[in-house]
Amino acid sequence: VSKRKILPTRAALTLTPSAVNKIRILLQDKPEYIGLKVGVRTRGCNGLTYTLDYTKEREKSDEEVLQDGVRVFIEKKAQLTLLGTEMDFVESKLSSEFVFNNPNIKGTCGCGESFNI
Amino acid sequence: QQLHRVPQNPLPRYTAGLPRFSSATAREQPAVSGPSEDKVYLTESCVKRLGEIMGKGEYLRIHVEGGGCSGFQYKFAVVSNKTEEDRVFEQEGVGIIVDQDSLEFVKGATVDFTQELIRSTFLVLKNPQADHGCSCGSSFSVKL
Repeated sequence: VSKRKILPTRAALTLTPSAVNKIRILLQDKPEYIGLKVGVRTRGCNGLTYTLDYTKEREKSDEEVLQDGVRVFIEKKAQLTLLGTEMDFVESKLSSEFVFNNPNIKGTCGCGESFNI
Repeated sequence: QQLHRVPQNPLPRYTAGLPRFSSATAREQPAVSGPSEDKVYLTESCVKRLGEIMGKGEYLRIHVEGGGCSGFQYKFAVVSNKTEEDRVFEQEGVGIIVDQDSLEFVKGATVDFTQELIRSTFLVLKNPQADHGCSCGSSFSVKL
């Protein structure tokens, strides 16, 4: 077995300008955190849901996405499900949320929080 | 007879133990004591957020419609007009509007504004009319 490494040809996760902006604002007054971490959990009526947390350090298995000066880490478990996903931040008067436009998903719940792949 | 009793026992105990029990009795009341109990409650964070985003004469309208994965779903909107069909619930200068039809599905419930890293949004919590809902809280099924 050769030790050939498969190199990713593109970022696993892309951020929209509004997401970059929001993450920058979130991290501005929190110097102890180096970035955000995206993960998936088994939850919701459609199987999976996204999680988002502050992170203090990079774990070995995390995939790092550095875009426009902000860092987002992807949990090992979420790397396959998130591949090619666009992370957006949508803000309206009534709600503000990070939205994941994931090309891998087969179905979502009506609220958009839960999905399956 | 012993055999018959065994499966029957756990059920009443289970419903009695549910935290919803008190609100379920409150649901029975309006039929007897009038519409004063048909209320929608606002949490502190909800009042605070509404105070921030609402202009003068604007209200948060809660509307229940069919849809979502559990049968019904809550819709939120900012409105400035109300009709005779609407009920207004005011608290500390801010108000929410619920139309009469929707009120049947949300009376006794609490409206909250949750803030998390991934999303901050308005939610209907502790709805005595809802049986079980979707994890996101926007869809629910009705207790029969």
